[in-house]
Amino acid sequence: MRSIDIHAHLTPQCFWKSTESGGDWHSLRREQDDRGREIAIVGDRRGGLPPKARWTPEERMADMDSLGVDVHVLSPYSGFYNYSLDASVAVATSRDSNNEIAEMVKAWPNRFAGLGTLPMQDVNAAVAELERIMTTMGFKGAMIDDKVNGKLLDEPEFLPFWKAAEQMGALILFHQGDDTLVDYRTKRYHLPNSVGNLADRTITFCSLVMGGVMDACPDLKICLSHGGGYTCYNIGRIDRGWRGLPEAPTKPSLPPSEYLRRFHYDCIVYTEEALRFLIDTVGADRVLFGTDWPYDMEFDWPVSWILSLDSITQEEKDLILWKNLETLLDL
Amino acid sequence: MRSIDIHAHTFTPTMLRTLEAGQEWYGMRYTNEEKSNIFVREGKIVNIHPKCKYTPEERVADMDQLGTEVQLVSLHTPVFGYHLSTADGIAHAQEVNNDIAAFVGESPKRLAGMAALPMQDVDAAIAELGRAVNTLGLKGAELDTVVNGKTWDEPEFLPFFKAAESMGATLFYHPQPQHNLMLERTNKYALPNCLGVPVEDTLLVAALIYGGVMENCPDLKVCVAHGGGPACFGMGRLDRGWKVRSEARVNITRPPSYYQSRIYYDIVVMSERSLRFLIDQVGIERVVLGSDYPFVPWDPSPTGWLQGLESITQEEKDMILWKNLENLLGIETTG
Repeated sequence: MRSIDIHAHLTPQCFWKSTESGGDWHSLRREQDDRGREIAIVGDRRGGLPPKARWTPEERMADMDSLGVDVHVLSPYSGFYNYSLDASVAVATSRDSNNEIAEMVKAWPNRFAGLGTLPMQDVNAAVAELERIMTTMGFKGAMIDDKVNGKLLDEPEFLPFWKAAEQMGALILFHQGDDTLVDYRTKRYHLPNSVGNLADRTITFCSLVMGGVMDACPDLKICLSHGGGYTCYNIGRIDRGWRGLPEAPTKPSLPPSEYLRRFHYDCIVYTEEALRFLIDTVGADRVLFGTDWPYDMEFDWPVSWILSLDSITQEEKDLILWKNLETLLDL
Repeated sequence: MRSIDIHAHTFTPTMLRTLEAGQEWYGMRYTNEEKSNIFVREGKIVNIHPKCKYTPEERVADMDQLGTEVQLVSLHTPVFGYHLSTADGIAHAQEVNNDIAAFVGESPKRLAGMAALPMQDVDAAIAELGRAVNTLGLKGAELDTVVNGKTWDEPEFLPFFKAAESMGATLFYHPQPQHNLMLERTNKYALPNCLGVPVEDTLLVAALIYGGVMENCPDLKVCVAHGGGPACFGMGRLDRGWKVRSEARVNITRPPSYYQSRIYYDIVVMSERSLRFLIDQVGIERVVLGSDYPFVPWDPSPTGWLQGLESITQEEKDMILWKNLENLLGIETTG
């Protein structure tokens, strides 16, 4: 049994090393809270980092062994998108993070593959970095936020990025960075994450489809993390919204449900019934194994969990755990 | 067909008479000559569906066409009065509720009513709910998913829930169809309605559960529109958040999924697969007919759509169509 994890984050060692003894990593800093927890300070934002975020590649691989995960498709920690900082900072942190991932992939090619991070506030710089990591460093794609400083990714200014990603065959993984939609309503009960991530992922599906990006880029490869959020469950209502739209230049000719199979989705939906629903709605060939390593919302014993599910066939389990990603990423 | 529809919107006669006369109704007024838009307050103009202006007679005739036996009518949420001063909010609610009582009184076997409440003042809301239920004979109240920015887990609302529980009143939650949370991100692609609405419903379910309302008021009767949004589909993530985050456990002793079966959900989920999933997650006794009248074009009708579904048994259909709401509301259907 093989397993390839599309949703596994890396807080790069260059951040940890540069911020030792109060130093900074391209203006990012670090301190400990009163319980000894590591806090990353990015601009005016503070984000807690779990102990595993500091682990070396060797410690990570030992943990992967215990979990039964063969390959991490590494993506940099989403708290370090740095879209709201000066573009030069995001360019520098992206290059550092991506270089470190490249080194890990080079050192352990059977255990790691790479998704980069990009300075999306500067589309030209983002395309240049994507080209650098795809053409000279063997990356599989990049992870980006659902929005860039308040803008959705269907804005015309991003079309060159989508064309470039399509042409390079890069997989773009969507994952929230800073505030989600729910932050505007409440900060309680972890809802900005537990509802907000799912809402934001669904907004991304809708904006890429109804904004015409998927039509403009028919070969684009997109993975929506967290199972695509509420996309598959809510698709009937989304179709109804599409039917009522005026005929704009970008309005797709087919309803959004016809685009479900243009996307990939990780399996982070937590319950067997929801995973079964996702598979039945988008197809088993569109669902990818992902764990959200090393954060507290990650799956416990993810491979064992998938293997234990009675309502998922062995063929479907193989597709999800490794076959789909082998094909998609040529691993 | 033997059926009770809990989700049916209306305007009220006094409101319409006032607006038709060219006057303001609690600051609201027609904004165009065709009288198809109402200015509610700064930044909020809502479209009017002509069927929301129906008389009781016209409405019942339309229900005959749709095969709906009983509708529970409630004021269309865009013209709620939470933003008004307390005095105006109370006057708004009293007038609306008197009108709704008179409206449903025109056809008492086919129509029942839900109150609007002045939620900007919890004591006044409790008083008006008592009047609506005990004096006017309404079945409960329709509520927005948020009150002037406040969520329903605020401790100030607990006395309201306790009062509703002791009165046996049913609370039907329905968000703003356009002017909701989604506007913080975008107004494109009909997203406020096609995604903002179900996200609002989900956040309401989460607030009632995580806020301890369902734990503290075990006999409270609550129904959430649009099937509670994708709350049931995302419940695994809510459980995970409860498990790993201490701030998610401050008010409740069990995982959120434990409480989701204490809430009722209507069937406005717009796909058979989603409805089957909802039933399997929350239990068939918690799923009820709602049509979102007159906004959703059901094929061929709300009851006809449900009857045509292959994955729902006839016994389940009967529970959704009338049995569950007969029990909840004390309404008798005859078919």
